[in-house]
Amino acid sequence: MNSRVAIAVLRARLYAQRRIVFYACVAAFVAGFVQPDGLAAPLFLCSLLGITTALAQSPGLHPYLDSCEASAPLFGRQLARAKALVPCVAATLAVGVYAVAEALRGAPSVPITFAISLGAVGAATLTALSATIRRGAPRVFYVAIAAGIALAAYALASEAHSPIAALSLCAITAFLALRQYGEALGRYDPI
Amino acid sequence: MLLPMPLLRMRDATFSAGETRAGPVTLDVEIGERAALHVASAREAAIVAAMASAVVKASSGCVLIADFDPRVQSVACKRIAALVPHEPFTLTENEFARYIEYRAELWKLDPAGARAHAAVLRRRLAGIHEAFAIPLIGALIGMPKLLVLDRPQPVYAREILAAAGRCAVLSTHDDAAAARAFAPKALHFLRAVES
Repeated sequence: MNSRVAIAVLRARLYAQRRIVFYACVAAFVAGFVQPDGLAAPLFLCSLLGITTALAQSPGLHPYLDSCEASAPLFGRQLARAKALVPCVAATLAVGVYAVAEALRGAPSVPITFAISLGAVGAATLTALSATIRRGAPRVFYVAIAAGIALAAYALASEAHSPIAALSLCAITAFLALRQYGEALGRYDPI
Repeated sequence: MLLPMPLLRMRDATFSAGETRAGPVTLDVEIGERAALHVASAREAAIVAAMASAVVKASSGCVLIADFDPRVQSVACKRIAALVPHEPFTLTENEFARYIEYRAELWKLDPAGARAHAAVLRRRLAGIHEAFAIPLIGALIGMPKLLVLDRPQPVYAREILAAAGRCAVLSTHDDAAAARAFAPKALHFLRAVES
């Protein structure tokens, strides 16, 4: 990936969406400070925030950024990776802030909760990105898959007591979701 | 002997997706030429402009931008052709600087050079309302060979064509009078050729 393009897209979009990122981090901090211990709250809350920030990359919300990116001399996969960085950074910030709040509260097993939450949130966020360039039922379908991935990661880590399996599932789905988003963005006609 | 290719060649170029349909369009735009295309609707004008600048791929027919096919060489096409969308937008001074910097990064230009170029263009386009000038400045800092304008304001035709300099210009319109403002008598006035 061309880092110059990726950093430019990241800066421009994070600046345009600074309020949503800030509110996501505040929500994560408050929840992390008051919630009981466990994986459910950080994983589901931060996945929801990740899906929300992914959907905030939908065309039409920042028209001049969209028109710049659509007419820029970039391959679909380059643009996909750069755009994927934006919700991933926002979601990672939320997970990090949640972990800090948990640590301040003196909650146990913060590192493992942080690692599993981060994996699940990343996979859910990247899957939800494919919904941004679709409408109607396909859009709902991708959001549902993203939620399903968070649920599956939780089940594997919390119910099946296999954090390795949860992280493996997240890594595989995140890789496939990013590839799928790049392919879809390459074929996407902004009409 | 090989004949030189036009900068933009469209042959029965058609876009269709569901209910949305545009074309077929057949036209050539040579280097440095000014051309205006009058189509039936605003929607069609937007789609044809997007096809001519490789932002949208033709569903059938052929589009070649300086011999590059947007379906497989879209990056090369987008370096040559720049699209100026119809929708105007206003930015604050700070946002304008960010906008120019952003475009410079996406087009891999020298940021300082892009800022200086933008300042020159801004002075040159002082007579145009800023909301219409900003997208044009953004498109021109990439130094395209072909400027594609989606329904530009005919009242600013002279300033826009002057700012384009030696760059070829294709504008799409849903109004014949507006099209004539961009392609005066001495230049070509193209019409969609239906197959």
